[in-house]
Amino acid sequence: MAGVPFGLPLDGVRVLELGGYVSAPYCGRLLADYGADVIKIEPPGGGDEARRMGPFAGDDPHLEKSITFLYLNTNKRGVTLDVETVAGAGLLGRLLESADVLVENYPPDARPPCLNPDALAERYPHLIVTSITPFGQTGPYRDFAATDIVTTAISGLMYHSGDSDQEPLRNALNQSFYVAGINAAVATSAALFQRMFTGRGQAIDVSTVECLASHLVQALPYYNYMGAIKGRRPVRGSGFEELMPARDGYVIPSVQGSQPWSTVAELIGVPELQDERFASGSGRIEFGEEIHDLLLQGLAQWDRKALHQASGERRLVFGMAQDAGDLHGCPHLHEREFFRTVSHPVAGEADYPGMGPRLSGVDYQVRRHAPLLGQHNSEIYGDELGCSSAELAQLKALGAI
Amino acid sequence: MTMPERALPLEGIRVVDLSRVFAMPYCGAYLADLGAEVIKVDTHHNQFVDTTRTLNGPYPDNDPGELYWERGGTFQTLNHGKISVTLDLRSDDALEVLRELVSISDVVLENFTPRVMRRFGLDYPNLKSVRPDLIMVSNTGYGHSGPWTNFGAMATALEPTHGTGAFMGYLDVDADGRTSSGTVPNKIANSYTDFLASWTAQLAVLVSLIHRAKTGRGMWIDLAMYQVGASFLGEGILDYAFNGRRARRLGNRHESMSPHGCYPCQGNDQWAVIAVRDDSDWQAFCNAIGVPGLASDPRFADPVTRHGNQDALDGIISGWTSSRTKYEVMTVLQNAGVPSGPVLDGRDMLADPHFRNRGYFEPVEHHPKTGLGRREYLTRGWRMSGSDVRIRRPAPMLGEDNRQILSDLLGLTDSRIADLEAAEAIGQTLAGARIPASVPLDRQVELGWTVDYDTDYPSRPPV
Repeated sequence: MAGVPFGLPLDGVRVLELGGYVSAPYCGRLLADYGADVIKIEPPGGGDEARRMGPFAGDDPHLEKSITFLYLNTNKRGVTLDVETVAGAGLLGRLLESADVLVENYPPDARPPCLNPDALAERYPHLIVTSITPFGQTGPYRDFAATDIVTTAISGLMYHSGDSDQEPLRNALNQSFYVAGINAAVATSAALFQRMFTGRGQAIDVSTVECLASHLVQALPYYNYMGAIKGRRPVRGSGFEELMPARDGYVIPSVQGSQPWSTVAELIGVPELQDERFASGSGRIEFGEEIHDLLLQGLAQWDRKALHQASGERRLVFGMAQDAGDLHGCPHLHEREFFRTVSHPVAGEADYPGMGPRLSGVDYQVRRHAPLLGQHNSEIYGDELGCSSAELAQLKALGAI
Repeated sequence: MTMPERALPLEGIRVVDLSRVFAMPYCGAYLADLGAEVIKVDTHHNQFVDTTRTLNGPYPDNDPGELYWERGGTFQTLNHGKISVTLDLRSDDALEVLRELVSISDVVLENFTPRVMRRFGLDYPNLKSVRPDLIMVSNTGYGHSGPWTNFGAMATALEPTHGTGAFMGYLDVDADGRTSSGTVPNKIANSYTDFLASWTAQLAVLVSLIHRAKTGRGMWIDLAMYQVGASFLGEGILDYAFNGRRARRLGNRHESMSPHGCYPCQGNDQWAVIAVRDDSDWQAFCNAIGVPGLASDPRFADPVTRHGNQDALDGIISGWTSSRTKYEVMTVLQNAGVPSGPVLDGRDMLADPHFRNRGYFEPVEHHPKTGLGRREYLTRGWRMSGSDVRIRRPAPMLGEDNRQILSDLLGLTDSRIADLEAAEAIGQTLAGARIPASVPLDRQVELGWTVDYDTDYPSRPPV
């Protein structure tokens, strides 16, 4: 595309990504989308554990077909390396010579010796080392075992998700590790900017539970301002700002925004809603159950998308529950060029969701599909580090690559 | 080349924060923690004030007080570290002052609808003409292009619109108590999408600062919360692209791990989660909870049979958890290496040994006029070894820094400031508002907004 003479913001930044599953790969993907040269380092044999996680393209379990892996690793190059071997640690050292950032998500008690933070800081003072873990590098829970449901529970977010008459509900699709990944990218970028002036790198300790806990800007002051424990969605209420059934699915009717109650009532289309008693916030609390029934009646006449459209045209802010098919076909997202067609030699072709924001002059492209296991070994070890083919053969024999 | 020392990443960076509500104000607070000078452009006219000053609370001891617009706990959390100038943008003179401020600033944050910024002449092309290398974030529900561009939005209604409800929801239960995949969407809630937008904006601003330092170019960031939300669910959308799968609602269960769930513990609304990843976790789990015969029960012998008999298995586990506290469940299982944890509420978090040990909460001393005293706030999910990132001051009082910003920074004459005052374009007392009604905590419990409350909360020791 024309008009991008200045390249991408992180052009020239080299990132080594030594981590698996979601958090470190998502951090790496965000940096890669902004132009960084991200080299993904995977253990030889099975590679990143996300490669073995379903769902798979065509529901066919295969190391190159994990959908989570395909989504999180576009725009990266990939090598295999066993950093636990002496030869592998040596090769990592050579890669670090030219790296600006190392992103890793080893559990603190399983971090390989070559990633000792003090030794790294001494040998590579310019290097930014970003470590992402469930609980951080310090504190009593540091070495606890965790999956997404555990980090979401301890972060406090889960207590507030779901309905108050049922158990707290797990959030969608590994959200805790996505939130940790983007927070890691934020702190890493802050350190990169600071380094432009100081020339020095630093170590960044990212705690997944703390990243998610930072969402609780209501629940925490609820307690330390007035001793109250905020709970989940109340079961009884008017139904506004909550998921409610419409004719073909669920919608969120809303009274937010600057329009008067009469506009809201008129849209829903039940004449009894045009009642002064319902026009104020306190009235909608007092007469919640009455409103709830009228709302159900009115929404039963609406399809989700028609209601969303009509709400937007009236400057109301109703929402609707969309599924993956709705989003994939969404005309609004297509007009904003959210999707990019990516062709992968094993998984095949598909339209991939792209970047969240649009930046003027940043031409977001999927420059590379997610790397095949060890795809760039000879390009990076041979062409760039200058290893001879004999050396590469020996590394392979030692199990290092 | 010698470079000036920088103790903080954003030292010397000035941010004009025109934003309201949650997402962008929070972005501004993080930039302040990183060392930027963040100027919140406030107004003392109630109809245009940031609604978190007036609508969100919570207030100390549920009492809004005379200066309620300075006393909301959510407002304080979202706006720490900033300074405040009031400018009523309906006044041409105030608009001119704002343009002068932008001309000496690096970053602008705003979340008005596209037409509002154009009407004020504050859209990117206009502001770029006063500050050519400006970095500006325009955060809206649906972005500045596309068929829904003029639709307003709030995070709570956006969240299911960008798809979370396709991937979370309780299981359906039939008349015989058998469970199956859920058909009803549910919500993460807590304005989830606002925070995704905040993290996304922070990252975009930081990479734009790097870009500007290298190229001298500014950046306009068109941030659509709907699109940002969808990008966080990309793996689910891509599953549709490859396999046509529209939704996966598994309650608290998991595709491959079993048992995997949220179990009742001793006390009111107390819960713990457990995730058994594989057979070795399963053996450790059985040994740890000591339920006789469980390890050898053929219904639970391998991941596939455990998955198929999860209803029965959950009943057995609930029997074990319900006579224990959520922290006991965590301790017993974590000692055996099995992923588990308590579902923490706000009270638990403030007392939890891990968050406290890591210094996650930072104390803030408030202005005596606010009556807020010294309180702790949640902070951020990361520490930088070489930067003293922290909360440096409380959220600003309305127009608290008018004199410093208008006179010292912009060099406005006293008579021009007096004119702004006379025209009511600046001011420090909220006009046109009443003290908000507060709902008594007993009534809040009745309505289900509040689960419980402690009257002795300020003096409760950590658990």
